[in-house]
Amino acid sequence: MSSVSSNILELKNVKVVYDNVILALHDVTLNVPKGKIVALLGGNGAGKSTTLKSISTMLASERGKVTGGTINYDGNSIEKQNPSQMVNMGMVQVLEGRRCFGHLTVEENIISGAYSRKLSRGDINQELEKIYGYFIRLKERRKSQAGFTSGGEQQMIAVARAMMAKPKMLLLDEPSMGLAPQLVAEIFNIVKELNEKEGVSVLLAEQNTNVALKNADHGYIIETGKVMLEGTAKSLLNDDKVKELYLGISKEGRKNFRDVLKEEGKKRKKRLING
Amino acid sequence: MADQILFFIEVVVGGLLAGTMYSLVALGFVLIYKASATFNFSQGAMVFFAVLAFVGFMQDFNVPFVLAFFLAVFLMIIVGLCTERLVLRPLMNQSEDTLLMATIGLGYVLEGLAQAMWGVEVRRLDLGIKDFPIPWIADNLKLFISAIDLTAGIVAFGMIIGLTLLFKYTKMGLGLRAVADDAGAASSIGIPLKHIMLLVWSAAGVVALVAGMMWGARAGVQFALVDLALKALPVLIIGGFSSIPGAIIGGLLIGAVEKVLEVYIGPFFGGAIEGWAPYVLAIFFLLYRPEGLFGEKIIRRV
Repeated sequence: MSSVSSNILELKNVKVVYDNVILALHDVTLNVPKGKIVALLGGNGAGKSTTLKSISTMLASERGKVTGGTINYDGNSIEKQNPSQMVNMGMVQVLEGRRCFGHLTVEENIISGAYSRKLSRGDINQELEKIYGYFIRLKERRKSQAGFTSGGEQQMIAVARAMMAKPKMLLLDEPSMGLAPQLVAEIFNIVKELNEKEGVSVLLAEQNTNVALKNADHGYIIETGKVMLEGTAKSLLNDDKVKELYLGISKEGRKNFRDVLKEEGKKRKKRLING
Repeated sequence: MADQILFFIEVVVGGLLAGTMYSLVALGFVLIYKASATFNFSQGAMVFFAVLAFVGFMQDFNVPFVLAFFLAVFLMIIVGLCTERLVLRPLMNQSEDTLLMATIGLGYVLEGLAQAMWGVEVRRLDLGIKDFPIPWIADNLKLFISAIDLTAGIVAFGMIIGLTLLFKYTKMGLGLRAVADDAGAASSIGIPLKHIMLLVWSAAGVVALVAGMMWGARAGVQFALVDLALKALPVLIIGGFSSIPGAIIGGLLIGAVEKVLEVYIGPFFGGAIEGWAPYVLAIFFLLYRPEGLFGEKIIRRV
């Protein structure tokens, strides 16, 4: 295992409850090493978004609460922080569903990301140019109203906006959601580039297991609020269980839904005979 | 005939000038609506509270005009601060209805506080501007425009332009517009909601003070100001709740229409219809164009 100082983020046995009754996370333990990309995988309702929000302290606005375990970021407990303090400490979340400011222009959206920093007009322009270097497409559309840009562009705006806060760590919640494969690839390339050139650590929640693991260094698979499996991205991509459950590939090759149903049918018959 | 046309112009101009004040007050509502998605029913009480404090400082403590104005501005910022801290923050993430009820309650608290501090009698406010036609305009254009109407119009217009520039070109303004669009996303990139709330409530407080001074100078500083300020409600229904240009144009429209109706149709109803005519107009808008003239349509991509 890695030593304490090499991890930018450490979650230990984190438990989250919504509305004082609904247990959303049972037991999540995960580490993000400095400068690495870590993928958090799982289906709908597995607890990916909840995990990310517990880190960015945005749970409170949804009446959620961390009731157990510890979360350490950059060597400090985040227990008493609020979202804007987390941003000041270099931790920025890109929310699920992109959430651009629809009535603001593309450029205003990106500039709003620098709100927490005390920058002069000149510094902002310099930062903008740097960001446009990564998001070339956005530069062409800088004057358009963000609400009228495409889904892929909105996802780029959301990431670019987060980068304006000069984060040490990005939390990305389902950047591939509802986007064509080509755009997904483009966005993951940009994330990888940001990770390599700017040294940003990334924790990425995804349902698109394949793309996520191909771009990440390490992966965690969670189900019903528990970490079920973890490993390097390579080992997970080659893991039989992951292949079968999340990539739709079984030992005998690609499996389709009819085969699964057939198997289920056989089992049921057996059960009826035995029972 | 020429006289009748001149008279009509006079009525419309008077209405438009009075309307700028409605626009300004409606702007206060729009700001709060944009930042916290609630209709601030305490705005009327804020008008009463602010101007009564201003007059109180001048008359009870012999504070000079300018100092009293700044004291009242300061007081309204304190009110904004307390509202954010004691009312809005504990109710964060509650439903819009809860917030609406809270602003109604806040209104009663402010009305009570104002009367407890400064008493209940109607006070006279003399701004040194007379409610008489301006001689120069009367001589040259043959229009009788009251000096106080013109002053109110110019002041309100200036403040509207100032606020618009503030929101378009400053960092705080950008933050406000971001919060208005998506408060959750705004807080995810580190825009502190409490600063924005404070800004919005303070701006609404200053707007309330100025409107209270202009109205108070004409009709006395009294409890009826609360209802006068609530005329922003039909203004907003007509202009659209979330639109700054809508508030401005809605205010002008209400101002002009109510004066015209009062003068030409009022006599058939025994007069004094400008109190309720705007609400009738608002009902027609609710029936046929509920989003108002400029209400922001939700942006949808096709």
